[in-house]
Amino acid sequence: MTTLLGPIGSAFNRYGLTLIMALALVALVAAPLATILVQTLYPSAGAWSDVLASRLSQNLFWRPTINTLIIGFGVASGCVLLGGFLAWLVVMTDIPGRPVIAFMATLPFMIPSFATALAWGTVFRNGRVGGGGGLLEGLGFAVPDWLSWGTAPTIVVLIAHYYALAFTVIAASLATVNGDLVEAAQMTGASRKRILFGIVLPVVTPAIIAGGSLAFAGAVSNFAAPALLGLPVRMQTLSTRLFGMIEIGQTERGYVLAILLIGISAIFLGLGNRMLSGRRSFATIGGKGAKPRRFALGGARLPLTVAAWVICVLTTILPILLLVAASLAPSSLALFSDWTLHYWTGTADPAFARGQPGIFHNPQLLSALTTTLILGASVALASNIIGILIAVALTRQKVPALSNLVSQLSFLPMLLPGIAFAAAYIALYGAPIGPLPALYGTKVLLTLALTAAMLPFAVQTGRATVSQISGDIDEAARMTGAGFFRRLGAITLPLAARGIAAGLLITFVNVIGDLAITILLYTPTSPLLAVLSYSYASDGFHQFANAVTLVILIISMLATGAATLLRGRRRQSFN
Amino acid sequence: MISLDKITKSFGATNAVSDVSFSVPEGSFLVLLGPSGCGKSTMLRMLAGLDQPTSGKMQFGDTVVADGGTGFSLPPADRNAGLVFQSYALWPHMTVAGNIEWPLKVAKLPTDKRRMRVLEAMEMLGIEKLANRYPGEISGGQQQRVALARMIAPRPKVMLFDEPLSNLDATLRVEMRFELLRVHAATGATAVYVTHDQVEAMTMASHVAVMNNGRIEQFDAPDRLLAEPASAFVAGFVGTPAANLIPIENGMWFATMPDPLLRGFSGHAMVRAEQIVLADEDGPRTFEAVLAEVVPMAGRFLVTGIANGIRITAVSDQVARPSGKLRFRLPAAPAAIFDKQGTRIS
Repeated sequence: MTTLLGPIGSAFNRYGLTLIMALALVALVAAPLATILVQTLYPSAGAWSDVLASRLSQNLFWRPTINTLIIGFGVASGCVLLGGFLAWLVVMTDIPGRPVIAFMATLPFMIPSFATALAWGTVFRNGRVGGGGGLLEGLGFAVPDWLSWGTAPTIVVLIAHYYALAFTVIAASLATVNGDLVEAAQMTGASRKRILFGIVLPVVTPAIIAGGSLAFAGAVSNFAAPALLGLPVRMQTLSTRLFGMIEIGQTERGYVLAILLIGISAIFLGLGNRMLSGRRSFATIGGKGAKPRRFALGGARLPLTVAAWVICVLTTILPILLLVAASLAPSSLALFSDWTLHYWTGTADPAFARGQPGIFHNPQLLSALTTTLILGASVALASNIIGILIAVALTRQKVPALSNLVSQLSFLPMLLPGIAFAAAYIALYGAPIGPLPALYGTKVLLTLALTAAMLPFAVQTGRATVSQISGDIDEAARMTGAGFFRRLGAITLPLAARGIAAGLLITFVNVIGDLAITILLYTPTSPLLAVLSYSYASDGFHQFANAVTLVILIISMLATGAATLLRGRRRQSFN
Repeated sequence: MISLDKITKSFGATNAVSDVSFSVPEGSFLVLLGPSGCGKSTMLRMLAGLDQPTSGKMQFGDTVVADGGTGFSLPPADRNAGLVFQSYALWPHMTVAGNIEWPLKVAKLPTDKRRMRVLEAMEMLGIEKLANRYPGEISGGQQQRVALARMIAPRPKVMLFDEPLSNLDATLRVEMRFELLRVHAATGATAVYVTHDQVEAMTMASHVAVMNNGRIEQFDAPDRLLAEPASAFVAGFVGTPAANLIPIENGMWFATMPDPLLRGFSGHAMVRAEQIVLADEDGPRTFEAVLAEVVPMAGRFLVTGIANGIRITAVSDQVARPSGKLRFRLPAAPAAIFDKQGTRIS
């Protein structure tokens, strides 16, 4: 027996975890993607020709694709400009209040994009599609369609959401070039302009490309903004088209669009990567951390300070304030008069809002609130546990091809637009597989899909944790003769606990603010907060939508604040 | 060549450098030596033109490069000076040759002249083969050579070094020390070199400025620092091993052993390791110590013992490694006596 089991047993000890993780990832990530491809080809590949080459393809694919690309490029360039500008101000100039600006510039990413889109509507909406105009129209301005609906507002809203990404990446890169590298150039007598174009920009280019392609990928896969701002005037992007196809039951066509959307996002992320990998590693040797040099802004100081604050306030505080006002004002034309709590706490009254009760009297809200919280918590737990296990497998059990597969698959969801990923889940788990029942319309499916989507973040958190477990620190404890559990309790957990808790909270925030995956997979009987807000908005009940969005925002802000506190002051400081 | 007159640099209320004056002739190798935070890097940055003195005057030859009184400061590039950073500060997006060439481009040298200078600088440091590599692809020692080549290519009259060897391992450090001296000799430029490593100062410098708390404790040739330290700080900072500073109180060693030679002084007496002998038996000026460590060095032993809480180091020629209780005998006269403030009085 032992001789028989011996080799297998020891092989399991050596490879078991990696193997299990590989299988889990295949089920969570690879299988849905494979299924979606197979289902569009077999039994018939007709959906492909419908989408790409038929009378319908103009409407099904080409126009949405052009819109998607316009939005993608517009958002990417806007994010790089805005994020780069703020990063330059914060890292390289003597602008006052740098730490506050740096903090504010990372916040927009924590505000779900549908919140910003709704806030846009409160100001710029015109009455063309019913539901009343916004603040500007109330003040007597005629708001043109292009400013109310469609591509332009979508781009602006998405820039306001994603520029935080570009800011973070570019600021980190600028911080490495500042100091010695710039002083070495100053020693040569090069002019400011020459230093900027000859040294600073080339060194920061990889970060600019990275920030731009991340913003691009985010923008093309975003569902909420084009759905809220584009659909009323029939502007379609690939993600809204995909949603529409699945909603009306033309799932094969939807799957084809999902594959094409994944393809477009992958092509551009790949191009960005290509440009980066051609460059040499830009790691620089640390000196004694030369005091970063700050360009004196001189006379431009005041206007630039004002500009920075305007950007920060417009993208963080203002949208929230607008949503608050819009959830209290009976008329969308006059945001600041006749405030009432009806939309929050009122009971059903036929004379008011077509008999809709306030959100706290809507039985759906309470169930949506609990569902959302439970879902967020379980996804955060599940994905982080898997993330830590994957990290352990990757560092402790290196198996030639398998480890590579695990690492690739765990980061794949990062590149996948949420709505396309959700479509793939419907394709695989929507129908019964053998003894397993169909999961479509159940919370299990939603949990699985969100868990898989959050894996890239979770694996990153896991790696940070495991690096603490396996480093010198643990070995130092091992030398004292402390056993595994003793070390876990006394060394590893105290060190890693804050990081893990912060990781859990961030995952939680991402889940409760998600609309792209949940809009396809939610359970009709108990929707989620984000979905509830979306359906209120698409039915024209803006006050209610705003109120629900505010509930999400409050939960997100509490969780984000807690995560920031947990991480403590280890974040990059710009002092 | 370089002369400083009452240079002071203050950040807010604190003086990083206060009232520093000295001058060195052309072609000399000046080392600014001191512990971290003593103001030596600030001095170097002012010489480079990256910082401006709050008061005092700084001259390169006949040219005034900075004058704190009028607020005048010549821009770095017009000082004909080059700086090697501790981090090397190689531009990561340019090749080795590109790094060396860029300052020449900024200086608007014609192409053929640039190519010649780049080649010359690379040859001098033996890095021709690395010309097309990027900084991220070469080792730390090689990066150091590139940084040196980049600094000498414009042929500066003043070469500035900010702890350039501190990121290298011990073997490379010795090799680069020699390399630096070779480059200095070949170019004939005046060098200013900042370090906290007294061995570097003793081996490379023609002049040393020992700095402490923003002031110059002593400005002298390396040998003079050893022979005639101006303060207790210098005596305790330079030399391998550094001289012993034994506390004296009212003419008594360790406040317990009276000795007429101490003439009633209080403070510290400097006794070099080679002046202390290991004694076999009790006698005058003899005291017991607990063995702390024994370092074999060039066929002899450096024996350190602890007496009255003070580490005392002696050189021993004995063949056997000493062990257990030690007995040290002090010389007939201390090499120097410092008062309680550290000022030399004898």
